[in-house]
Amino acid sequence: MGRGEGVLRRRFNLTTPSLLGLPLAWLGVFFLLPIAFVALYSFDVYTLYPGAHGFTLAGWRATFHEPIYLRLFWKSVKMSLTVSAIIVLLAYPLAYYLALSGTKRKYILLLLLIAPFLTSYLLRVLAWKVILGDQGVINTFLFWTGVRSPGHPLSQLLYSRFAVMLVLGYIWLPFVALPIFVSLESLDRSLLEAASDLGASRLQAFRRVTLPLSLPGIFAAFLFVFIPTLGEFVTPSLVGGASGYMYGNQIVDLFGTGFPDWETGSVLALFLLVVVAVLTIVFSRFLQPRQVASG
Amino acid sequence: MDVALSKNGARVLRAFFVLVVVFLYAPIVILLIFSFNKSQVPAFPLSGFTFQWYRDFFENSDLRGALETSAIVASLTSVGAVLLGILASIALTRRQFRAKPLVSALLLSPLVIPYVVFGISLLLLFHTLGIGNGIPTVFIGHTVITLPYTILVLVPRLEQLDIALEEAAFDLGAGRLRTFLLITLPLILPAILSAFLIAFTTSFDEYAVASFVIGTRVTFPIYLYSALRFPSELPQVIAVAVVVLVVSLIVIVGAEVGRRVAERRFAD
Repeated sequence: MGRGEGVLRRRFNLTTPSLLGLPLAWLGVFFLLPIAFVALYSFDVYTLYPGAHGFTLAGWRATFHEPIYLRLFWKSVKMSLTVSAIIVLLAYPLAYYLALSGTKRKYILLLLLIAPFLTSYLLRVLAWKVILGDQGVINTFLFWTGVRSPGHPLSQLLYSRFAVMLVLGYIWLPFVALPIFVSLESLDRSLLEAASDLGASRLQAFRRVTLPLSLPGIFAAFLFVFIPTLGEFVTPSLVGGASGYMYGNQIVDLFGTGFPDWETGSVLALFLLVVVAVLTIVFSRFLQPRQVASG
Repeated sequence: MDVALSKNGARVLRAFFVLVVVFLYAPIVILLIFSFNKSQVPAFPLSGFTFQWYRDFFENSDLRGALETSAIVASLTSVGAVLLGILASIALTRRQFRAKPLVSALLLSPLVIPYVVFGISLLLLFHTLGIGNGIPTVFIGHTVITLPYTILVLVPRLEQLDIALEEAAFDLGAGRLRTFLLITLPLILPAILSAFLIAFTTSFDEYAVASFVIGTRVTFPIYLYSALRFPSELPQVIAVAVVVLVVSLIVIVGAEVGRRVAERRFAD
């Protein structure tokens, strides 16, 4: 048929727009456009209410002059940071064990670890609601065994900041082990042998070789939890009560019934989006999703 | 001597691993136990064995309706997301174009958007366009958030494939479509199936985005969320929870084992 290389490539090339057209159009209309609406709404360029409006920073200024929103944001940042740090610390030894102990069943064990993450999110939150309540599994167990009297349940278990952090940690822990496992798994073991031959103890080899080489996995793991938990609103609304109320709940409430304030809500939403986008871009070299997907 | 871990170190880590696995599965086991408990409230001491809650749930038509709605939404979503994902993945792995880093960043960006932000964005969009909430609006939201997952599954598989196979078919006169249908598609079928499964389960379980764009026909997670407010429905909800959790654990393990077996066979 004597088709030249150039012709071949051109025929392959021709279809790029037709391949990408639909997915990009879909995201353009149903992902980028809605976000643009929120942005316009926050600057009062666009609003659902009749009346005069035009570009103004008034909404932003008013929102951030109100200390409750920033305070709530920092509270959420602190909660997410704490949860992320604790579960990365817990997940590291798990991943280390799977990747480096030489166990033959590491993929089965990894699946065992990750499987809960792939089951229903809401139902796992529900389980904790049943366990932690004043009349829940833990408290009634304590009454039953006589450790506490029925009049005095451990009432801090549910509807508290503690409950939100416990449940978020429970939900994300299996997932966090994955990127750490991938980075440890790809570690060249001969480096450790070389360190050992040169007289390094296991601890020295860990501190000077293993830990630095697994840092990308640690960063990735950390961000994979921190980013979604920062905007979390489902878990706090189910187990958080007033003291577990997070920034995401505030956004939902501003768009909800009662006294909706879509402009302030848009400002808060866009602010959260910008924070997350900056984090993602700054740390994008650690967020190579392919690394994780191939695990 | 093992350079990474001493014998005692391995023992300690193994014990820790077992402990964490127990922590991860304990809540599920507790639900399992209380799903058979006679009392209305899930509390100690256990008050006897019953199937009543499972029977109640099978007879609860609202609940069955919600499961059905979720099944419809998840089916539509997974078909839509996988189709979009196949198109995008082929472009990303088989075509050269200048804006590729930007395009791939855009395609994957729904992975990091906070769902609360995406939810209110969609709410605002549909409100503006005057589109009423319902199954189509949830389907739209779910295809956006599941599309990146399908791409993450499909792209590595397409990259592994020997491109010479496709070029050979093309050289022998098969059109692009026939090359795809006869060569590429069968070879990436396992990946397509796992992409489909991931999109389906994600959509089936998705509450956050759906809560903003749901109409009067509620999905299963929305139903669950509202049922949590009524203590009288709690025992049935626990029974459903057990069924859903156990079925999804079986599907996950089965799918993963199946994928490994299939890919090993193809690799030979």
